[in-house]
Amino acid sequence: MTFLKLDKIKKTFGELSVIKGVDITASKGEFVVFVGPSGCGKSTLLRMIAGLEDVSSGTLSIDGKEVTYEEPAKREVSMVFQSYALYPHMSVFENMAFGLRMAKLPEDEIRRRVGEAARILQIEPLLERKPRALSGGQRQRVAIGRSIVRNPKIFLFDEPLSNLDAELRSQMRVEIAKLHRNLGATMVYVTHDQVEAMTLADRIVVLRAGLVEQIGSPTELYDRPANTFVAGFIGSPKMNFLVAKVTGADNAGLQLSHPAFANGFLSLTHSSAGKAKIGDLLTVGLRPEHLDVAAASPLLKLTADFAENLGGSTQIYTRAGEDTIIILANGRPDLKPGAQITAGIDPRHIYLFTSDGLAL
Amino acid sequence: MPGRGSKPTIRPNRGYGRWTPFWFLAPAVFTLFIIGIYPTIFAFVTSFRRYNIARPRDGFPFIGLENYTSVLTDGTFWASLFLTAKFYVTVLPVQIALGLMIALLLHKTGMGFLKSLARVTLVVPLATTYAVVGLIGRLIFNRDFGVANWFLDSLGIGGLDWLGSQGGAFAAIVIMDIWQWTPFCALIFLAGLSMVPGEIEEAARLETSSKWALLKHVQLPYLMPGLTALLILRSADVLKLFDMVFVMTRGGPGSATDLVSIYIQRVGFRIFDLGTASAQAILLLIITILISRLYIRVLYKEVN
Repeated sequence: MTFLKLDKIKKTFGELSVIKGVDITASKGEFVVFVGPSGCGKSTLLRMIAGLEDVSSGTLSIDGKEVTYEEPAKREVSMVFQSYALYPHMSVFENMAFGLRMAKLPEDEIRRRVGEAARILQIEPLLERKPRALSGGQRQRVAIGRSIVRNPKIFLFDEPLSNLDAELRSQMRVEIAKLHRNLGATMVYVTHDQVEAMTLADRIVVLRAGLVEQIGSPTELYDRPANTFVAGFIGSPKMNFLVAKVTGADNAGLQLSHPAFANGFLSLTHSSAGKAKIGDLLTVGLRPEHLDVAAASPLLKLTADFAENLGGSTQIYTRAGEDTIIILANGRPDLKPGAQITAGIDPRHIYLFTSDGLAL
Repeated sequence: MPGRGSKPTIRPNRGYGRWTPFWFLAPAVFTLFIIGIYPTIFAFVTSFRRYNIARPRDGFPFIGLENYTSVLTDGTFWASLFLTAKFYVTVLPVQIALGLMIALLLHKTGMGFLKSLARVTLVVPLATTYAVVGLIGRLIFNRDFGVANWFLDSLGIGGLDWLGSQGGAFAAIVIMDIWQWTPFCALIFLAGLSMVPGEIEEAARLETSSKWALLKHVQLPYLMPGLTALLILRSADVLKLFDMVFVMTRGGPGSATDLVSIYIQRVGFRIFDLGTASAQAILLLIITILISRLYIRVLYKEVN
């Protein structure tokens, strides 16, 4: 059942169109992540759900009720801000209790709810402190606690982890995932970090320049990206792209040529092969983690350029003519700059895109 | 060169001479001394002397606390002080309430151009000299051709003899003071409101739709430092308020607008009893300091 529905949502600031018609639905209990580069409109979209930003056109409904023009406080959503946005003059307890006091809940109910949230988030010893006496991670917990106590219909997160250091970030990421599992609440989460998107989301919405590029589960986006933008955005390091020419095509398969191919060409079977014509240019997508420098039948011949040792694995930057190809190799292969190497790939992991960038 | 010679140089080369800071500060300190510190010391010393320049033959002997006892037993002094207090508690709440309302209106989003215009307009009364405010007041409240009476006429209410009646004159100086100082309050509050981080205001808007709750629980703490400064400045200012009232009413009719500073001026420059006037001025200074300390202790709190 649809719990959150964005229908043809648009946002313009004067002449400038920021959100250009977005349709998104989420069911109850789902964890939806909006991901995209800065300026893609993901935060604006979230703030529109919260009611902090006016909707220029389209409709927004939560739990079957249209709330497009409803006041923020009446939407029963809560939000965790990037800067935490705790009230600096109130104690941790008062910060968490504020919304409940405003809703005129009885005092013992307020104590019970705040105590419960504090227990879940392990911030019980901090309840009397002021926000300034807390570390970044603790403030983040309080901000989440403030959301939990109100028992909102939807939790909104606006890049909540981007002010934390790397270690704390991964720790809080796990906690948010657990929180979602334990509360079973509907959550909408905005991030520019595709790792957060991949690990947290039930469904990812990839946005670019105010438009939805693709919506799907993390696995779907990774395995079947709709276009080169999504393919490049999901996965780290980013997918390699080579523009190759079609030299043979029939309904069963394709033959492509590129100077970097070890044999000068690549033959592969592909279900949509029939759509390509000889002479077309196709973009071949190869994920760094799928490339294998020790493959028996190599696809690419490359010139090693630079290697980054990551401890357990090595990120190898190679040149294929004009293009740079990144390979994520296990262990620490001994490579001198300029060395000639080869790399193979399982043909099932080869992605093909038309010259418009759409998946073939 | 460090290391060469017997000892390395300790003083770093700051790129300016040792006396340079002195020359930069000297003009300001000198001016402050001439127009602030020296007169204060002079008044303090004078307050312990018999110092009537209309009767120089009496000489200027030190008479201990005699000036102070005569001031503290002077009914007129107490009456003028009481009137000043009445003036203060009349104008200040109005200025704070109106200033806060204007600030909240200017703090709302939208109508950028009109808001900039309004902000600039707010500075005009502040930039007007007190004496000029008094002159404007005399014109506004003129019985025959003043705009105040014209306004009352258009409402069908008969004209008042503003500056000729006790209540009217007091009301007139109250109105002019409110006109001059409300914008100051508005600007201070506006600055305070803009100190509230946007996300904190938004977090509160998600939790309550009451504008009053937002003001009371979220914005007010950010307004307190400004409010404290405002109260201190206004206290000092009302206690020394002279030119505007002097130009408009000269303290009259009767003693209707005889604020304490007007009374002190009369003692000092009409009766030429500078010893008594100095004692009164020093008492006023002490009252100002006490009120300021009180405000700081009770109200002042840093948010962060």
